[in-house]
Amino acid sequence: MSDDYPSLLRSEQMSLVQLFVPTEVAHDTVAELGELGNVQFKDLNPNVNPFQRSFVGEIRRIDEMSRRVRFFSTQIEQEKDVVPIRPLYDSAPLITVGPRAAQTMDELDGVLAAHEQRLTQMNESYQKLGERTKELIEARHVLRETAVFFDKAQDHQTDIRTSYDDSAAPLLQHDDRENQYSAGTGAQFDLEFVAGTIERVRVPTFERVLWRVLRGNLYMNHTDIVEPFVDPVTGAETRKNVFIIFAHGDALLAKIRKVAESMGATLYPIDANADKRSESLREVEGRLEDLQNVLYNTGSSRRTELIKIGENLRSWQDVVRKEKLIYETLNLFNYDVRRKTLIAEGWVPTRDITTIQLALRHATEESGTSVPPILHELRTHKTPPTFNRTNKFTEGFQTIMDSYGVASYQEVNPGLFAVITFPFLFAVMFGDIGHGFIIFVAALYMIFAERKLARTDLGEIVGQFFYGRYIILLMGLFSIYTGLMYNDIFSKSLHIWHSAWDFPGNGTDTKIVGVDNGHRYPFGLDPGWHGADNNLVFVNSYKMKMSVVLGVIHMTFALCLQLPNHLKFKRPIDVYANFIPQMIFLQSIFGYLVVCILYKWSVDWSKASTQPPSLLNMLISMFLSPGKVDPSEQLYAGQPFVQVVLLLLAAICVPWLLITKPYLAWKDMHKIKEQGYVSIAGNGDGNGTHRDSSDDVLEGEEEGNGGAIAEAGDEEEHEQHDFGEVIIHQVIHTIEFCLGCISHTASYLRLWALSLAHAQLSEVLWTMTLEAWLEPTGVFEWIVLIVMGVFWFVLTVFILCLMEGLSAFLHALRLHWVEANSKHFEGGGHAFTPLTFADPDFKD
Amino acid sequence: MEALLFNVDSGFLEGTVRGYKAGILTQSHYTNLTQCESLEDFRTQLSATDYGNFLANESLPISTATIADKATQILVDQFKYLRNNAVEPLSKFLDYVTYAYMIDNVILLITGTLHERDTHELIERCHPLGIFESMPALCVASNVEELYQSVLVETPLAPYFRDCLSASDLDDLNIEIIRNTVYKAYLEDFYAFCGSLSGPTADVMQRILSFEADRRTVNITINSFNTELSKEERAKLFPAIGRLFPEGNNQLAKADEIDQVRLVCENVGEYRQFFADAGSSANGLGDEDSGVLSQLEDRFFQTEVHLNKMAFLQQFQYGVFYAYMKLKEQEIRNITWIAECIAQNAKDRIQDFIPIF
Repeated sequence: MSDDYPSLLRSEQMSLVQLFVPTEVAHDTVAELGELGNVQFKDLNPNVNPFQRSFVGEIRRIDEMSRRVRFFSTQIEQEKDVVPIRPLYDSAPLITVGPRAAQTMDELDGVLAAHEQRLTQMNESYQKLGERTKELIEARHVLRETAVFFDKAQDHQTDIRTSYDDSAAPLLQHDDRENQYSAGTGAQFDLEFVAGTIERVRVPTFERVLWRVLRGNLYMNHTDIVEPFVDPVTGAETRKNVFIIFAHGDALLAKIRKVAESMGATLYPIDANADKRSESLREVEGRLEDLQNVLYNTGSSRRTELIKIGENLRSWQDVVRKEKLIYETLNLFNYDVRRKTLIAEGWVPTRDITTIQLALRHATEESGTSVPPILHELRTHKTPPTFNRTNKFTEGFQTIMDSYGVASYQEVNPGLFAVITFPFLFAVMFGDIGHGFIIFVAALYMIFAERKLARTDLGEIVGQFFYGRYIILLMGLFSIYTGLMYNDIFSKSLHIWHSAWDFPGNGTDTKIVGVDNGHRYPFGLDPGWHGADNNLVFVNSYKMKMSVVLGVIHMTFALCLQLPNHLKFKRPIDVYANFIPQMIFLQSIFGYLVVCILYKWSVDWSKASTQPPSLLNMLISMFLSPGKVDPSEQLYAGQPFVQVVLLLLAAICVPWLLITKPYLAWKDMHKIKEQGYVSIAGNGDGNGTHRDSSDDVLEGEEEGNGGAIAEAGDEEEHEQHDFGEVIIHQVIHTIEFCLGCISHTASYLRLWALSLAHAQLSEVLWTMTLEAWLEPTGVFEWIVLIVMGVFWFVLTVFILCLMEGLSAFLHALRLHWVEANSKHFEGGGHAFTPLTFADPDFKD
Repeated sequence: MEALLFNVDSGFLEGTVRGYKAGILTQSHYTNLTQCESLEDFRTQLSATDYGNFLANESLPISTATIADKATQILVDQFKYLRNNAVEPLSKFLDYVTYAYMIDNVILLITGTLHERDTHELIERCHPLGIFESMPALCVASNVEELYQSVLVETPLAPYFRDCLSASDLDDLNIEIIRNTVYKAYLEDFYAFCGSLSGPTADVMQRILSFEADRRTVNITINSFNTELSKEERAKLFPAIGRLFPEGNNQLAKADEIDQVRLVCENVGEYRQFFADAGSSANGLGDEDSGVLSQLEDRFFQTEVHLNKMAFLQQFQYGVFYAYMKLKEQEIRNITWIAECIAQNAKDRIQDFIPIF
């Protein structure tokens, strides 16, 4: 069918292949297949521990290498000044395939180890120097701060003393006093003290503990050190305080020292003598200067090393990542020691087998050996993975559907139809030419700047918009179309053609009734409705009916998608037992409603004899009082009879849906039993031969002669046809469908509700911001107009385009997932996850 | 009632802790681990479990101490996450869990200081969950009074220490007595707190704590044979809770040899098997006795693991948090043991761990 050309309607046809790879080319083969990215390997030794597999040694080595690479990248990240990292696409690729592969890896290993050793050494010495510098800086701070403190204390003391002298000392003893002074400056502090630095967070605890330990016998003073201390290697900042504690007595001082040390404080010996203090300050500063020179040199050589690493870091990361993937894949293979080959099994798209063959040959040539790997197609009963080939346009739509559920193998893929239905349903809710144009332009920008944007890291939210740029493009385009239909542009209307309505007012009337002038507005809503009193009444009724019509069409379409599935998988029973009754049920109730809506639109009720009937009441009374229609509300002649027939049809469909399939299944089972077959799970007393298995063997032999198609072991357990399960499944299915028809139709009314809300919101925004200022007369009003214009535009973009757009998007999503997918989608597949080197985290 | 309102405050955390619990190593993991030839294998094997890449950034060779540290760090991080997201009374409950570690740390520091070890080295050896900020200052105290006045008075442990205030100097025996008195007070307080929570928390936790108390009682009794601890003092150290309380405790207070302990334990059905095949031959001191004791220790651990596993059978209670911590600690002990056996090439004893699941 679709074998010749890839289509999105069904997932790719897959084949299970077996690869016999000679050990010497195994690595290169996997590397080649990984670059190709379309083989999903199966784990052939699920019972083997991860560390008992064949290539653990290699993986361990790669792990060690990747640890080193990680170490480098954290080092580079922590560096304050940004170290340039050459992007991957700029760096020369490291060739890890071919005859020199092993050597390249060895070299790389060596290079990494050497770099690591150098870097750790430098870090160590840098840290050591940094620590010393830190100590000296702390010492300097302690010296300075204590100096300030001592100076202050001295001032106080002199003050006290002079005042004391003034009041009590006799003038004659002046000389004595002089002597006293000169002696006093030398040893005026008989209090002893401890000085040092401590982390700021610990100061309160420190103070509290000391106070308790010394029972209050201390005097403590501390000041903040303004600049933080930065750890040179980790880059962490710590803030410290200088403290000085005075206490009396050796025992107390010893206690203080002990507490201080255990709390992580650093103590510095400070002399009470001012001269000695300034001397040691000078000394400290001298040493600090020397040390800082050395530190600078070490730092710059460390930086050179990092820059050198940064040049190659990306390619190393790439190589390490790929090698790890390769060896992990190789571990999935069956290792045959005797024959020196590796046996691999995996799923591939049938279409790509030739490409893979080419890749295998290429790998053999590269590695320089003559033994090519052999590819071998297997027959199997296993369900292949689902693989939908997408391009950048369809990718987004397919992802929307895949996030609901991965389609079963070769099932009709709703992603294909979502390409059109999704933007369309969105646009029905978002219909506005102006807003549609804004998002269209935004999407267009993202598409034109695609190459540039794809390379930069956009962040999570913007990245999502970028990923869905083609969806947004179509959404914008369709919104412009529905905007034209609704005749809405930023809540105003376009007046292109001649309106059907004239308003012959002369300006004095408070209410003007439009007069039909015989024209017909050719496309979309007549602008005459804009601003009319009964605009809302008209638009509401129109949009509500339209959403029901669209909804029923969408559901009918989704229901029809069952048919190709049933035909493809040869399930005629499902056509008769599921598809046909479901279709009749849906059409006899809601299809009829749609026909009535269309018919009612086509009648000119102003000239008709009866009043226009309410369709809602009609539908309700069709159930409540079948066969009776009030003549005053009759839509057409013979309505009661038609409705009774339709109701009966729908009523028949329910038991039809409920019973047929279980009955057929039961009959089938009965037939098998009558023919004398016993299920193998029962007592296998030899009566029941398992026909399937013998058949398989025969088939296998026949095929084996014909070509290179071997039989895969029949590992798949045959699905046990449990009768009870069929019944329960069908009951649930029936209830779900019948109730679902009603609730889903109602659910499509969200199309009306959202489009109405959107139109109203944009109108409110217009009247509240711009409308009053549209005819400026003075300078001030011009300014207000500009301000309001900007305000209006910002709100339009953020509220109407982004917020409303998101809400419409979500509702469109729901209509697809719930209302449409429930009609046909099985979604029991598992996605195809091939071995590929393309990494989503790596932008290249 | 708790089924109605429990999840409002603690549903998320209970879910989290049950998720953590699902990551506890199973028997098959242990089988794989014990087959490892080297610590590198061990690391590869562990990386396939919930521990993930916790050792990936360690350069070779790895030491068993690093493994234990890193594993504990994971547990501590998990606990802190739980604690930070908890509200009353769960937060209080979790605080109670940390008190046990604080007591251990305090005792460790006092003992270390007594033997004049370096304070920083001691602090590094402390359990990270039991660290409080004024803890380093413990090393200046030279008697209990001072200890209490200078440091402990502002910690939540203060009420527990109030019972053992005496001016007596710190020596090994005293420290041991302090440890047991404090622990007794802690257990009783925790027991009462769990009782105040009522409902399934009380049921589950009091079962676990009763066992904990009994285990301590038995251990104290056995360890005090032939020491200078008088029988009255010994009786004071027994927690006033547990299944052995009060008659069992009274008898244990008078016991002189292991046989008497065995008789007391046999009064409680679940404890009967502790001495089951120890036989009555343990009629003296010597090698056989220590064999019985180490076996007893293992049985205690097994019962503890069993009780903690039982805690997970009931929903809407805080016992799971406590049980998870204990199970995880046991697991860390197990992997450390296995790692040690691998490192020292003592394969014959590698099976001597206590499997959890």
